[in-house]
Amino acid sequence: MTRAWSDVRGWRALGTGLLWTAPWWLGFLFFLAIPMGVSLYISFCDYPLLQPPVYVGTANYAALAHDPVFQTVLANTILYALLAIPLGTVVAVLLAVLLNQPLRGQGLFRTCLFVPTVVPLVGTALVWLWMLNPEYGLVNHALRAIGPALEAINGLVARLTGEPSAWLSDLAAGPKWLQAPGWAMSALVLISLWGLGSPVVIYLAGLQEIPQELYEAAMLDGASPVRRFWHVTLPGLSPVILFNVIVGLIGTWQIFALPYVLMRGEQGPERSTYFYTMYLFDNAFRYLKMGYASAMAWIQLLIILLLTGLVFLLSRRAVYYRGA
Amino acid sequence: MAMNIRGAILLIVLGVPAVALLALGPRGRYGIPPGRTVVRYWEKWTGVEGQVMQEVVDRFNATVGAEHGIWVEYNAVSSIEQRTLIATAGGDPPDVAGLYDYVVPQYADQGALRPLDDLAGQAGIRLDEFKPVWLEICRYNDRLYALPSTPYTIALYYNRALFRAAGLDPNRPPQTIAEFDEYARRLTVRDAAGRIVQAGFTPSTAMLGWWPWVWPCFFGGRLWDGQRCTLDTPAGRAAIHWLADLRVAQGVEAMIAFEATAGAIESAQNPFLAGRIALLFQGPWMSNWIAKYAPTLDYAVAAFPSSTPERRHVLASADVFVIPAGARRPREAMVFLSYVLRQDVLEELCRRHNKLSPFRSPQPDFLARHPNPFIRVFDELANSPDAFGYPKMPMWLRVLDEIKQMLNRVLASPEQADAALEAAQRKADAIVAEYQQMAAKRHGGQR
Repeated sequence: MTRAWSDVRGWRALGTGLLWTAPWWLGFLFFLAIPMGVSLYISFCDYPLLQPPVYVGTANYAALAHDPVFQTVLANTILYALLAIPLGTVVAVLLAVLLNQPLRGQGLFRTCLFVPTVVPLVGTALVWLWMLNPEYGLVNHALRAIGPALEAINGLVARLTGEPSAWLSDLAAGPKWLQAPGWAMSALVLISLWGLGSPVVIYLAGLQEIPQELYEAAMLDGASPVRRFWHVTLPGLSPVILFNVIVGLIGTWQIFALPYVLMRGEQGPERSTYFYTMYLFDNAFRYLKMGYASAMAWIQLLIILLLTGLVFLLSRRAVYYRGA
Repeated sequence: MAMNIRGAILLIVLGVPAVALLALGPRGRYGIPPGRTVVRYWEKWTGVEGQVMQEVVDRFNATVGAEHGIWVEYNAVSSIEQRTLIATAGGDPPDVAGLYDYVVPQYADQGALRPLDDLAGQAGIRLDEFKPVWLEICRYNDRLYALPSTPYTIALYYNRALFRAAGLDPNRPPQTIAEFDEYARRLTVRDAAGRIVQAGFTPSTAMLGWWPWVWPCFFGGRLWDGQRCTLDTPAGRAAIHWLADLRVAQGVEAMIAFEATAGAIESAQNPFLAGRIALLFQGPWMSNWIAKYAPTLDYAVAAFPSSTPERRHVLASADVFVIPAGARRPREAMVFLSYVLRQDVLEELCRRHNKLSPFRSPQPDFLARHPNPFIRVFDELANSPDAFGYPKMPMWLRVLDEIKQMLNRVLASPEQADAALEAAQRKADAIVAEYQQMAAKRHGGQR
């Protein structure tokens, strides 16, 4: 039903509604919608920030397709997302399940796990710089301690495949982590696990929501703890997992501060720790290529939207909503 | 009713302190005297350096500023290049900004800086009092876009005690690159396990190698000829092979592991202060940290050697003052700058920042009271006819990133030195070509 133009009370109600919601929609309009529209226009311009933008059509997008640094940062970001999201999800779910057990000192364990999340990023980065120091770092110290065992495994690998694994040899000797192109990404993923406190807390909240009756029914049916986890916990937790995966997806595509601090603003060995947002920032504020940076930002937005849509699509059959 | 009373109490509890804070709360350090024109000055210096500049500003406001009716408002700003850039693009720049010399060509080429040739003359600043090198690094396309604030040259710090231990004469620093190479090898020490515990020298950015682009310059090369980035010259090739050969001699893997142990620069773990690096390419400020963290360190400073002894290539650089395009009070800003650039004022600033004096003849007091005991060496180096500054490329930061990648590749895989150089040259050519093409299109469009 459409509103009659003469409906004065309706218009007045609309005006009042708009007035009271003005702080939000004015903010949205001026600080989000208009800037986004302008950035879309700028992505089709050569805009060195200090001179007026000059329309260049799709030149920025075409240049991106042939830019080797863009391809590198894109590959790095995808690799990081592929490693960090699944690993982070598995570890966080397992930790949440462990912390959900009615053990003595449960609160203490939960606090310990959450504390790294509130430590400032720069502090975390500095601690990890030393932890991953190839010569004196704690991580390599531990790896060297189990080095003989790793070498023994490598011996088996050599017997099976005909040659030892270089990866295992490196691991046994203690990798050069942030100094080595092949290990720098692994180091970053390892450090990302340090900040799992937030998703773990969300998973813990999700675990509380799973009805106890389901576990009891499963136990009556003789389900082992593993089967209970697989058939009750995981489906019950699936909406929370979906939420965390999407948040993680957006976060990994925007990774900036951690590699920036760890690598002291450098791009890392063979640009192995140079990510999408870092290159976007460099283009915008160091190289003064604001049009190019805007094109990157729009591509980034499209990628995130596409991936989020894909995750939603794939999750249709895997996510169980209670009451749905 | 109860709700109203509760609401009133809440209003009082929150409202009264807020109003009191507004009325009686902290104010800026100064009230601006009436009738003064405010000059906004953004600077990157914080801590002690910022405090020294604030004192200069205070003295100006109390004396010359009062005479001319000018009040300078000093603001320490982080990421000053980006903020100045954004403020300029937004049409509300500061009246004076303290930038780094290497951004001057980029900003000047984009029309972000106001040329100062005429303004400096009108303000009575005598440019002929400055050493030519400091004005040269402030020029772009024959126009003066900046004025030097605290300049510096980079020299060779060497650890005399480690020289003695290696059987080298502590009073004779290396005179040529070949000699430097020999010294660096002899000063590299390994433990029983083959790990490097003391390196003669490393150009790594991970270990105080702040200028990864300079090495061809010590072989007589320069990185910009006005049209092309010249990495693959004979000098460029000689430099890259020198670095690669030295790397191989020291041991690639051992050096990478050693460089990963670099401690914080401003600490006792600074590798030069800790006696872990014997030869270091650094500026006059190093003596601050030496005095603080290693006061007994037996060291000296000399010119960094060049490929031939008759040449004396020297990196000269400076923090600079600029007036952004669109600044509202350029003339008042110049009155302030003409005060700061008075020899007595600027030399006090430079001395307390542990930098050089930009003047042709520094006052004896400046040299005598300077915290760096080797300041005369640094000062003398600024007179070298072979002194060079940052390449005046408006697309420098992009090229610099490629040079860093090249250096890292050479240090990780010295056998790929030639390939790394060629790749860097190709990328630099592409960056320059793209920039020039866009600039041509832009200028064409403007006509």
